[in-house]
Amino acid sequence: MMKLIQIFSSRRTWAWPYILFMAMFVVLPLILVGVYAFTDIDGNFTIRNFMKFFTHSEAIQTFLYSLMIAVFNTAICLLIGYPAAYIMAQEEFKTPKVMAMLFILPMWINFLLRTVATVELFNMCGLPLGEGALLFGLCYDYLPFMIYPIYNTLLKMDNSLVEAAQDLGANRWTCFWKVIVPLSMPGVYSGIVMVFMPTVSTFAIAELLTHNNIKLFGSLIQDYITTTDLLNYGAVLSLVLLIIIGLTSFFGDHDSKDGEGIV
Amino acid sequence: MKSIKNILFVLFVFSPFAITMAQSNLTYELRIGATRDVALLEDFPESFAGEKVNIKLANSSYSTFGTLETADVLTPLDFFFADVSSPALQAWGDSIYSYTDAEGVSWTVWRTKKEVKNRSQKVLRQNAYHVFETYVQGVTHGPSHSTAWLGWLCAGLLFLAGIVYSVVLIIQRRREKNLTPVEQETLRRKRMGMRRHYGSQLYLWLLLLVLYAPIALIAVFSFTKSKILGNWTGFSFDLYLNLFTGKADAGLNSAIWYTVIIALIAAIVSTLLGTLAAIGIYNMRARSRKVVSFLNSVPMINPDIITGISLFLLFVALGVSQGLATVCIAHVVFCTPYVVLSVLPRLSRMNPNTYEAALDLGATPAQALRMVMLPELWPGMLSGFILALTLSVDDFGVTFFTKGSGGLETLSTFIYSDARKGGLTPELRPLFTIILIVMLAVLIYINIRNSKQEEK
Repeated sequence: MMKLIQIFSSRRTWAWPYILFMAMFVVLPLILVGVYAFTDIDGNFTIRNFMKFFTHSEAIQTFLYSLMIAVFNTAICLLIGYPAAYIMAQEEFKTPKVMAMLFILPMWINFLLRTVATVELFNMCGLPLGEGALLFGLCYDYLPFMIYPIYNTLLKMDNSLVEAAQDLGANRWTCFWKVIVPLSMPGVYSGIVMVFMPTVSTFAIAELLTHNNIKLFGSLIQDYITTTDLLNYGAVLSLVLLIIIGLTSFFGDHDSKDGEGIV
Repeated sequence: MKSIKNILFVLFVFSPFAITMAQSNLTYELRIGATRDVALLEDFPESFAGEKVNIKLANSSYSTFGTLETADVLTPLDFFFADVSSPALQAWGDSIYSYTDAEGVSWTVWRTKKEVKNRSQKVLRQNAYHVFETYVQGVTHGPSHSTAWLGWLCAGLLFLAGIVYSVVLIIQRRREKNLTPVEQETLRRKRMGMRRHYGSQLYLWLLLLVLYAPIALIAVFSFTKSKILGNWTGFSFDLYLNLFTGKADAGLNSAIWYTVIIALIAAIVSTLLGTLAAIGIYNMRARSRKVVSFLNSVPMINPDIITGISLFLLFVALGVSQGLATVCIAHVVFCTPYVVLSVLPRLSRMNPNTYEAALDLGATPAQALRMVMLPELWPGMLSGFILALTLSVDDFGVTFFTKGSGGLETLSTFIYSDARKGGLTPELRPLFTIILIVMLAVLIYINIRNSKQEEK
């Protein structure tokens, strides 16, 4: 009994319940994805499902298309989000905090409801629902994820560097490209990661925005994983997505701390 | 004077948008009607058991509606209870049943042949039943009830504002002609800066306008009782009343309750678990701390769908029936890392020796935790708790895969299944309008408090 008390008075052990919980509900499930991907429906080892992916043209095409959409969306978010973050971070701006909050506030409205409202808006304006609507909706949903990390790095940036550049004769444009942009790269990286990863794995938004006419990889996974007989193939697709996510977070792991303040 | 000028300028810039809005509303008016598919797959278990049928919005079938004959008049309710195997529905073809309710919404049952793949991927031909809710706009309500007049009014006001602004500008320029060249130069410089300033302001506000347009749509149409978003049938508080008196859809009510219950459970559990874990992690040796921190970041990096699917596979493998418990566990999984991250900074800020001191003075670990650490940690715990609440309420992906098929719905999944049917339960509009207003109020409150603190 004394020994037990001793163990628990060492604060190091207080993390044990959490570690156990994580092992059970984070690590084990992720391993299970791999296990299901390499077994058939009776639980025997097989690589048939895995081979099926490479010959399954629908899956490959959807996968590539989703990647393309994700890249496009990330690029659009960056192009729109960077100037917004830059403007907000500038000193002459009087109420940057309110602005930053205003950009995040829509995220408190359920994103599915916002998506439905976007569809309705497109209908009202007589715009067709297709690729354009998809990109608009995705950009609309993930723009705050791009703005926030960039805004944070720009705020933290040492302004004396900019002043030094100006004193040394750089005009506004040079100063922006040679000083501000390189300094804000960590924020840009984490913004890209934070937009790219949810976009590539999105599944409900695409369905609603295009009335299920355009299928993204996430929807494909959803279809297979919820069909009992094809669950193992769904696991293969999930594994592919997991690899993409792993790669992205590996390459984007420059300074992910900037994004943590979001939500 | 200056601020009035700014307002006028913004109005002027927006006037083309308003005009387009007004015009688009007019053309909308002339269309036969917006049609949406409200067919419920679950309503026809006989015909769709286990099958996936891709239901498309019948945008292309406006013309079809005009020529088809109405064979029978059924109310939507009648249809839902109608025997699907009745002789009237047996023959192939586009037999149509339609019914127009008091609101001008016509319900149409339309049957098509559909190619469906069965489990073994064989192509079957099968009946597909669609229930269309058709709103015939121009006929029932006419332009007087439309929103077009609002658009035109805005456009008119904006245009007037633009004219006034230009006149003011011309007068100002006239006056400046009498200034010396030096004064004119400084004025020009100042204008350049102003232009840059207002250009960036304009950019942000335009962006916000686009960002808030769909939300504004929800908010505006929460004050009309029309079933369809985007169709104004006169001002009314009915939806709010329905929401608060429980007259809304039963599914919505239970979804709200489940959302609240799940969020509370998940937030409380993850706050406790996360705080303990944070204390543990903080006191670990560097290497094991690194490992646990990595583990902690995994659920944050993982997108919803991966977390959801992996947990789904776990529950399938364990043979656990999915329901409230599994959803709660799943929510704790993705909420706890954020709690850990919001408690850790508080720990590094507090004096590490106070806890030891309490133990030396004879406190039990539990006492020391309660009386020494908690007072220091609770701001971090609170922000973690609030973060967990928001994450849980907002979650869709994880809930979707772990809720099972027992009929458990949270708000997110309810909206999803609602939207798939094509319609949206009208009471969702006031619900989210209220959430938005509360959030705005909180934002304004925080802002006022912060500025007051800064003044001190």
